[in-house]
Formats: sequence, C-alpha cells, structure tokens
Amino acid sequence: MNYLLHLLVYFDIYAILALSLNLVVGYCGLLTLAHASFYAIGGYACALLMLTANWGFLPAMLTGAFLSAVASLTISLSAWRLRGDFFVLASLAVQTLIYSAIYNWSSSKYPIGSWENLTNGSFGLTGIPSPKLFGWEINGTFDYAVFATGVAGLCGFILWRLKSSPWGRLLLAMRDDELAARGLGKNTRLAKIQAIAIASAIAAVAGALYATHVRYLNPDSASLDESILMLNMVIVGGLGNFRGPLVGAAILVGLPEILRFFDFPDAQAANLRLLIYGLLLVLLMHFRPQGIAGNYRLE
Amino acid sequence: MQALINGLISGSSIALLALAFQIVYLPTRVFFIALGGLYSIVPCIAIAVKDTGGMSFAVIVAIVGGAMLSAFCEWANHGRLARCNASDGVQLISSLGIYIVIVQMIAMVWGNNTKTLRMELDSVTTFGDNIVVTGAQWVTLLSAIVSIGGFALFLRYSKLGLRLRALADNPIQFTLFGYNINSHRLLAFALGGMFAAISALVTAYDNGFEPYAGLHAVLLAVVAVIVGGQGSFCGAVLGALLLGLIRAEVTWYSSARWQDMTTFALLALFLLLRPQGLLGKKTRLESVS
Repeated sequence: MNYLLHLLVYFDIYAILALSLNLVVGYCGLLTLAHASFYAIGGYACALLMLTANWGFLPAMLTGAFLSAVASLTISLSAWRLRGDFFVLASLAVQTLIYSAIYNWSSSKYPIGSWENLTNGSFGLTGIPSPKLFGWEINGTFDYAVFATGVAGLCGFILWRLKSSPWGRLLLAMRDDELAARGLGKNTRLAKIQAIAIASAIAAVAGALYATHVRYLNPDSASLDESILMLNMVIVGGLGNFRGPLVGAAILVGLPEILRFFDFPDAQAANLRLLIYGLLLVLLMHFRPQGIAGNYRLE
Repeated sequence: MQALINGLISGSSIALLALAFQIVYLPTRVFFIALGGLYSIVPCIAIAVKDTGGMSFAVIVAIVGGAMLSAFCEWANHGRLARCNASDGVQLISSLGIYIVIVQMIAMVWGNNTKTLRMELDSVTTFGDNIVVTGAQWVTLLSAIVSIGGFALFLRYSKLGLRLRALADNPIQFTLFGYNINSHRLLAFALGGMFAAISALVTAYDNGFEPYAGLHAVLLAVVAVIVGGQGSFCGAVLGALLLGLIRAEVTWYSSARWQDMTTFALLALFLLLRPQGLLGKKTRLESVS
C-alpha cells in the first residue's frame, strides 16, 4: 500500500510538470528545454528557505514560484524574437546557465545557504524538513499522498480554468497564426510572457513538492536529461489538450513498474526504460505526431 | 601561449563536429541531435574491432560504420518524415528519440563507464621553454586539417560539392533541375556521419569517451555553428576554433567548471545580439529557420 501511495506522489509531481509544460509546448507552440531549471529553482528556493530561514512550507513554496516566474523572463523574452530551432537553442542556453549556477554556487568554507555557498554544489541539500500546513504536520506517506494529490488537483484546476478562459483561446490563436492574432489587436508578446511565467511558477510548485517529499535535492533535478524527460512525457502523452499530459505522466510513472514484472537486472532496467521512451518518440513522430491523446501537431 | 595552442587543438575537434552538423543541417534542415549518438557509438565500434583487426583497420571500420549509421537514420527516419512534409520540430524530436535509443543501447551493451582508445602513455613534443604538444593533440590537429581541407576542396571544385551547395541553397529549384534530392540528402547524412566519426575518434583517443558525452559535444558544435554564422560551412569552422580558444582560456585563467557557463552565455549573447553569427548575412530569422 505504501508503495502505491509513493507512486501516487510521483504521479502527482509529474502530472503537475506535464500539465504546466503543455501550457508552453502545446498551447504556445514553443518547444522548450528549460522546464527542469524552473522546477529546480522552485525546489531549491523552497528547500533553502525552509532549511536556513525556518520559513513555513507555504510562503517558501510561493517565493520559489515567484522566483521561478521571474527567471522565466529569460526564455519568454527570447521567444519574442526567436522561433523554431532557434528558440529551442535559446531555452537550452538558459537551461545550461541555470544548471551551472546551481552546480557551481558552492564553497566548502561557508555554511549552506550563505551567499558564498548557496546551493552546496554537487553534494546537494539534505535534511529538508517535511511541510507543515496550518498546523497539519504532513509526515507519513499517506498524509503526503493526500497533500500532493490536493496540490496537483489545485494546479490542474487552475490550468484547466485558464485554458478554457478567453486567455486560453488567445494562446491557441497565437499558436496557430501569430500574425493574425496580432492583426486582431491581441498582445501576443504579453500573452507569451504570461503563459511561460505561469507554467514556470507551477513547475516550481512541483519542485517544492519533490524537495519536501524526497527531503534531498541535488543539481540533477535541473539537468538537461530531466528537461528531456519532461518533454518526452508531454510529447508521448499528447499536446494541446488536458488529458494528453496526464496520459504521458501515467506512462512515465507506470512503465518502470511494469518493467519490474519482467526479470531485468536492475542496472539494465533504467537504460531499457529510457530506450523505450526514445523509441516511443521516434515511432510517434511517424504514426501519431500529436501524441497518444493529444490534438496538436508540433510545428 | 599553451592555452592558445590547447584551445586551437580542442577547437579543431569541435570544428569537425560542427562541420558534421552543418553538412546535415544546411541541405536538409534536420536538427540532427542523433549525431551525439553516433559520436558515442563510433569509439565503441573501434574498440570492439581493434582486438581482432588492429588499430588502423578499426579506425576505417568505425568511420565507415558511422557514415552508414547516419545514412540509415536518414533512410529509415528523417527522409520518410521529410517526404511527409514533417515540420522542423517533428524532425528535432525524432532525432532526439534516435539519440536516446543509441545512447541507451551503448550503455546496455558496453556499460556506463569511461573508456579510452589509447593504452600507452602519450609521447610529448616540447617547443621552446614550456610549450607542450602531446601526440594525441598532433593526431587531432592533423586529422582536422586534412579532413576539413579535403572537404573544402571537395565543395569548391567537384561537381558533387557544387550540387550539395545548390541543395543547401534552394532544394525546390534543385529538384526542378532534375537532380534526385533523396540521394543527395543521403550523401549529406553519410558525410555528416563520417565527420562526426572522425571527431569522435580523435577525442576518444585524446581524452577517452563515455556514452553520455555525445549530446554535450553536439551542443558545443551547435553553439559553434551559431557563433560562426549558421548559413555557411566556413563559419562553422571559424566558430568552433573561437569556441575552443575561449574555453581553453577560461580553463587556464579561472576553472574548468565555468567552461559551460561561458559557452552558453556566449550562445545567448549571439542569439540575442547577432543571430546571423560572425560570417552570416543579415536576414530575418524566421525566413531561415
């Protein structure tokens, strides 16, 4: 039972990430590789504020989300000018810069969280306290699963309302024909900034959930592989609607567990799982470019 | 001075890979990330063959293998997608998929650890007081000069080179003149695979190799292409040499851990301020992307 609850927490985290990434990739049509860095910014900000400044979970998480939204300006401003492969490259640059910053912002002479040793480099942050919310100490796996599902539900609800609002339709119009949307007097640049900032802030919430669940955070959560994994999830599941990313997250969480039933040596199982993701990407691009449950084909 | 020489030599191995990327990207507009997979698998092939057939045979097999694998990617995947009018994003994602498949296969067959092609200690040539060039660096420099020079001559003076440039310039008109676009695309991919294989082999000989290094190497090559000017072959080589120099200077004067930060800050600067690169002509990005 504990095992299933654990899976549920991971599904919640990945579902939040996939839904938020879908806002950028599926609704704005911008292929980004920087999502993991916003996820990590949220995780690190929340963990550091809780560890060193003894903040509560809620203010720490919201600060992380705010910082992440501010950091997302780096990619949304480049989305003003760049499209296609060039935007992918710009997001890649942002991703590498943030990853190097997290990886290198350390010095063994100073305590963790001081200005000289903010992130503790490759050793990561340990002993992140478990969240406490309005007097509810969230400690056991069951409590955490309930909490994570609640947060994921809330994020999903916000995204769902946004997508069915006039603003969501503006995003769709902009994705399909930016020039026409601008011709109708819509401010597409502002819409891009808003969409990317909201998506990044929500990814930061997922980062905060991950940090307080695992209670350990290292720079790997900001790595390019992590970004590729998130992108994989959205593209395999499907772009441009609400159920696609959920399908993708379910596949991502479910596949390793299914592989467990076959007797692969542990060392090979991780490689095999990634190999299947890669193969899925190649095959989907041929036979179903909109993903398993999506309705938008990538430009 | 030592940093300058190290930079030029590591830059020339980036230049080979940047050229490989550019040979594929210019005629076909495929953002060929799977080049990273080729970059990782070629030294593995060389090591597997080396035990039975000796080093020079292994190098030939590995280079031919790289070219054939690259052509296979085009034949089985990118060519088919292109004939369905797939968008750039689709090509990029499927190339990323191929990269993941190749790398994970390498990790499953040969393991995750770092290996090297060179067993013995390297010989060293010393110039003047304290400038040192190792044997592996000579190999890198010579193979880069020979293959880049050879490719430049091929592009400039052979009929086939002319046709490749024509394809890069305007694919539709190229077809209208009655040339077969598919076979030329296949050739471009094979050449790209060949150059990636050479670059991978010299790097593996100098520094060793591991399955996950490929993506990073290709990204460096792409940065070099953007810096140099993404419309030309010359620009790619120039950008790669510049990038190698900058990375070596950063290592020399501060620390190797800032290399990536400088590289990608450079990429961001160029994308925002001079997206056409050093040698590029000023065009609108939308029209070339």
